[in-house]
Amino acid sequence: MTGRAGSAPIIPAMDVPSYKVTVARDLEDLIPVFMNNRKKELDTLRVALAAADFEQLRQLGHRMKGVGNSYGFAHVSTLGKHIEDGARSGDRGSLEARIREYADYLAKVEIVYE
Amino acid sequence: MRVLIIDDDPDLRSLLGHYIRQRWQDASVDEWDPLERDVPGADFPLGSYQALILDYMLGRGDGLEWLAKLKQRSDCPKVLFLTGAGNESIAVRAMKAGADDYQRKQELTRERLLTSLHEMTAAAGERTVSSELAARMESHSLGAKVRIPGIKVLRLIGEGGMERVYLASREGDDVPLVVKILRREVLKNRTALQRFMEEYALVERIQSRHVARIYDHGQSEEHAYLVMEFFEGGDLMKRLAGQALDPAEALRVFRELMFALGDIHEKGILHRDLKPQNLMFREDGTLAILDFGIAKHIDAIDRTKEGEVLGTPRYMSPEQVQGRALDLRTDIYSAGVLLYQMLTGQHLFEGETAVEVALHHLNTPPPALREDLQLYQRLLDKLLEKDREARFRNADEVIGFLARKLESAPDRTQKLH
Repeated sequence: MTGRAGSAPIIPAMDVPSYKVTVARDLEDLIPVFMNNRKKELDTLRVALAAADFEQLRQLGHRMKGVGNSYGFAHVSTLGKHIEDGARSGDRGSLEARIREYADYLAKVEIVYE
Repeated sequence: MRVLIIDDDPDLRSLLGHYIRQRWQDASVDEWDPLERDVPGADFPLGSYQALILDYMLGRGDGLEWLAKLKQRSDCPKVLFLTGAGNESIAVRAMKAGADDYQRKQELTRERLLTSLHEMTAAAGERTVSSELAARMESHSLGAKVRIPGIKVLRLIGEGGMERVYLASREGDDVPLVVKILRREVLKNRTALQRFMEEYALVERIQSRHVARIYDHGQSEEHAYLVMEFFEGGDLMKRLAGQALDPAEALRVFRELMFALGDIHEKGILHRDLKPQNLMFREDGTLAILDFGIAKHIDAIDRTKEGEVLGTPRYMSPEQVQGRALDLRTDIYSAGVLLYQMLTGQHLFEGETAVEVALHHLNTPPPALREDLQLYQRLLDKLLEKDREARFRNADEVIGFLARKLESAPDRTQKLH
């Protein structure tokens, strides 16, 4: 990947194309549940971080990494990988930044069905 | 079609179930949440399914352990095992434990899922299969037939014009490897066979970390094979995915390529077919060159007929297009074409036919880089000179240029002269 370091945001600025996600039309019925689960996941991430439960953070990051791309949300997978790595190394600062970024992403993401 | 999905993520189970039901209208899909239920017991009707999709990470369980338990049962259906990306050792262990196929979860698309399920279940469920599928099944069975001491051939992972490529593992430590088996029809072609076997001889002579490691090679009446290093990081084609790399990353990869060319040129070997599919990445990001199938030693007798053109038109040097005698500078030009693609995400030249693309290399000036990439324009110009006398003469010259002009440039926004 690129040489971005530490806890620097992965998304360089607002309104970049990565906030826009194109999803196959036939998946439209699945997306509300998917997004709802991502929001629950965000809450769980915050609780796990507050409790310094790095094992749970690692598992959640791993799950994000696995499921994001499958639905077309590549950035969820990317953030998941960073959260998984941050949890493995116990990097609290990086985890805080990534979870903040995840919240921002979920609030702004625009879904287009094709 | 009845399918059982064992995965701890409800969203993934829903998605896979959706794909399957959409493809096979009469499909029945059952989901199994390993966070709530342990491995299916003896009373569970496992044999009523044609396929089982099993994840590696089951939240609180280990998919490999579940696989081993389920495969002990005589009624276990075909198993598609889901692994993490870039972790082929898990795939190796899964295939050795009896999985019938595996897919990297992060790269699992609708098409890959359905193809895999179709191929796994077709032999048992269909009396006739398409010729394409039949060919793939023949390739799978070929892998199972080839006997290489100390190596277990596991799964077909790619097919080229001359050879089939398999994931394999070294017995004892399960290190993932690649086995390339020459197609039987090509085996009868003495020139093709010679080229294939020459790849081993060439690579053996190089011994560089920038070149794919070859562990073994052999030939029988039926098969010729190479056993080589497996690359967890995939190839440059996959890394590009039709887009540009970050310029710093593009330059890093290009610099590694120059070290690689320096190593092979030092041994008097030209690659002659540099392209994204032949540049592989290890897990740590280091680069190695692959596929010396059409490479040749500068002093060797050239088995190509006069005027015969070998290589890939998109990355050919002008002199290669003309079928002229080649030297180190042909690889330097091809590396320049690759650098352009890494920086811009575009091919240097487009065309409707291979000939049209090849002719552009002869006659058309390379397009200029856009404003924010001007730092690299002079470098590219000198790599892509149509007159090889004006081009960099070798990789050392390029590396020197990089050190002088790019790595030590006080202001990287200025164009280099």
